[in-house]
Amino acid sequence: MIEHVWLVPLLPLAASLVILFFGREGEHSKMPYLGIAAIGAGLWISLRIIFDAALGRAVLPYEADWTWYSFAADLGGRPFIFDMRAGVLIDGAAAVMLAVVCLVSLLVQVYSLGYMHGDPRFKRYYAYLSFFTASMLGLVVSNNLIVVFAAWELVGVSSYLLIGFWFEKEAPPYAAKKAFITTKLGDLGFFLALLLTFAYAGTYNLTRLKELVGMGYLPPLALTLIGLGLLSGAAGKSAQAPLFIWLPDAMEGPTPVSALIHAATMVAAGIYLVARCYFVFLASPFAMEAVAWTGLVTAFLAGTMALVPYDIKRVLAFSTVSQLGFMMAALGVGGYTAGLFHLTTHAFFKALLFLCAGSVIHAVHTNDMRSMGGLSKRMPLTFTTMAIGSAALAGIPPFAGFFSKDMILEKVFEHSPAMFALLVLTACLTAFYTFRMLFMTFLGEARDRERVAHAEESGSAMTVPLLILAGLAVVSGWLLQHGHAFASFVGSGAAEAGAHAAETAGSGAHGLNPMVLAVGMTAAAMALIALAYSLYGGPDQSRAGRLKERFLPVFNLLENRWGFDAFFLALVDAADRLAELCRWADTEVIDKIFVDGWGLLTRIAAEISHLFDALFVDQAVDGCGWLSRDVAGRGLRSLVARGQVQEYLLYLAVGVSLFAILR
Amino acid sequence: MTLTLAHYLALGAGLFVIGIFGALTRRSVIGILMSIELMFNAANINLAAFNRFLHPEGVTGQAFALFIMTVAAAEVVVGLALVLAIYRRWDKVYMEKIDILRG
Repeated sequence: MIEHVWLVPLLPLAASLVILFFGREGEHSKMPYLGIAAIGAGLWISLRIIFDAALGRAVLPYEADWTWYSFAADLGGRPFIFDMRAGVLIDGAAAVMLAVVCLVSLLVQVYSLGYMHGDPRFKRYYAYLSFFTASMLGLVVSNNLIVVFAAWELVGVSSYLLIGFWFEKEAPPYAAKKAFITTKLGDLGFFLALLLTFAYAGTYNLTRLKELVGMGYLPPLALTLIGLGLLSGAAGKSAQAPLFIWLPDAMEGPTPVSALIHAATMVAAGIYLVARCYFVFLASPFAMEAVAWTGLVTAFLAGTMALVPYDIKRVLAFSTVSQLGFMMAALGVGGYTAGLFHLTTHAFFKALLFLCAGSVIHAVHTNDMRSMGGLSKRMPLTFTTMAIGSAALAGIPPFAGFFSKDMILEKVFEHSPAMFALLVLTACLTAFYTFRMLFMTFLGEARDRERVAHAEESGSAMTVPLLILAGLAVVSGWLLQHGHAFASFVGSGAAEAGAHAAETAGSGAHGLNPMVLAVGMTAAAMALIALAYSLYGGPDQSRAGRLKERFLPVFNLLENRWGFDAFFLALVDAADRLAELCRWADTEVIDKIFVDGWGLLTRIAAEISHLFDALFVDQAVDGCGWLSRDVAGRGLRSLVARGQVQEYLLYLAVGVSLFAILR
Repeated sequence: MTLTLAHYLALGAGLFVIGIFGALTRRSVIGILMSIELMFNAANINLAAFNRFLHPEGVTGQAFALFIMTVAAAEVVVGLALVLAIYRRWDKVYMEKIDILRG
């Protein structure tokens, strides 16, 4: 089965093109089923790969590639044939990622049948979804960094198209542009890393690169720079500080899109890239430390920012940023398995949360949690599944998030207790804001009776994916943790042998007792959930209001996202001013002095030249004419041409005689 | 003494010189025309003489002489016509008076 893995990205791509160019637009278009079939086939292949690998029928890592292009070059007299090869490289992480992307994409596409039903651009929506999935899968499987980069940018384009899907509204086009431009800022670093990679290693093949790095072929400084460049790209795509500002705005897209792209898969691309190029980071301690701190700072900042929004999707967006920070921090401290484990579980429960939020929004037609409350009676299924998702996110056992989060915390504690403390604080915040959202939405009195009274449970196209994801959110953590299944599977692939050994060796020596950590974290989470209940769960929400009054400056700071938006706006503003200055310098200085001045100089020179011409050259020419016409001509004429024919004849005779004599 | 080519050429040259002299010195247009006729005839004598002494079996030189006589007659006709025209215009035929080509 594994030799057909190239089909996984190409099937959705084909489906997307067929839908886009041959499908009929309309509310009752049958085109969505094509996209669902394509991604279903992809899921089938990826699951088969995992089972084959687990049963030992296939060997990971699996690599197959084909010549993309090749050309002959001349290297200082030595002939050299450059062969650019592109293909697939499937290691444990890639296999897991493939399955996660396919599964979430499939569920989201099924869910969208209900959520997007009746949208005038139904067909186009599915074409974009399939296109996004294809790009993401291409990114996951490719063994060539250039192809990874291309897919990475295609993912960015699809994200742009989907965030701005409802372009007739006011906010989405701006959000789409913001997301695109902000991620491009990070991609710049990625691109520089690519250039450096080729300059130092001469190849983009990941396996080859890993060998070269392992042999110590690349200088440490280059490795650090490449690592930082990759981190910059990952920070853009995975919404890490300070480039996370686009993710909350990206919630303007349709909610299933938020679930697929901005929670489960696309934002995981950055984490995945760091994991895929982990050998670079392992070789450069500085880059590694940068990854850890980026993740940590992001996790904490986003965690605090998630405390205050009233838009249900914004809360989830900030929590996504925060959880991505957890993964990044895990990778940064050497927790390769922990990071990928959290990536997997997070993909399930965050997609679940988003889809639940979508279900709520579909029912009450607003994102504002202040207009909700008391929905648990109207939408029991959504409430149950969302509670499961929230428990998973908050890290309550035995839900999925508990296992992965504890794994990360253990790794971070081994690395640095200070980082551990900050991350524990963030984890507590996670529990609080998650249940704040849940309680505000579902419990208490209905604050907007009109809306809540008309809310109804969504149809089966939407609830079935919810149930499946809820099931995964319950069991995936326990299942994958069981007997170190995930660790050995991912570790069996391209994971760094050294890192894996360090992970297994380190956890016994000076690590934290996992039992103590688990009990402590659970207790803290429970306490904070109780606090959230007392503030937001009951019918009386005045205490929450009073709390807000009291800490208004802090609230405002958090609502303004720690001033990051203002910071970037100021940057843009400064760039505008700089551009204005440049324009001024151009028109006023360069144009006036250099261009116009040069013109003036030329004119003056031309005037002088003209004067010289008129005074001397022309006069000389005229003088020659005058000399020959008036002086010589007239004199000669009066002397010789006197009109006497006989004189002429005489001249003739004399002339002929002279010829005769002098010949 | 026998007549040689040189004698004939000397005669032709003498005639030609006389013709030139006349053409350059006569005041009357009629005289100039007559002098020109002399020069033609000097050329005819040369042609006939060359024919006789250098190429006795042919008649090329004599044929040319005949052509020249014809041309000379035509030229005299034109010349006399001009003389008549000049006389009618200015009532005189003296060359020094006719200087409308002066520069």
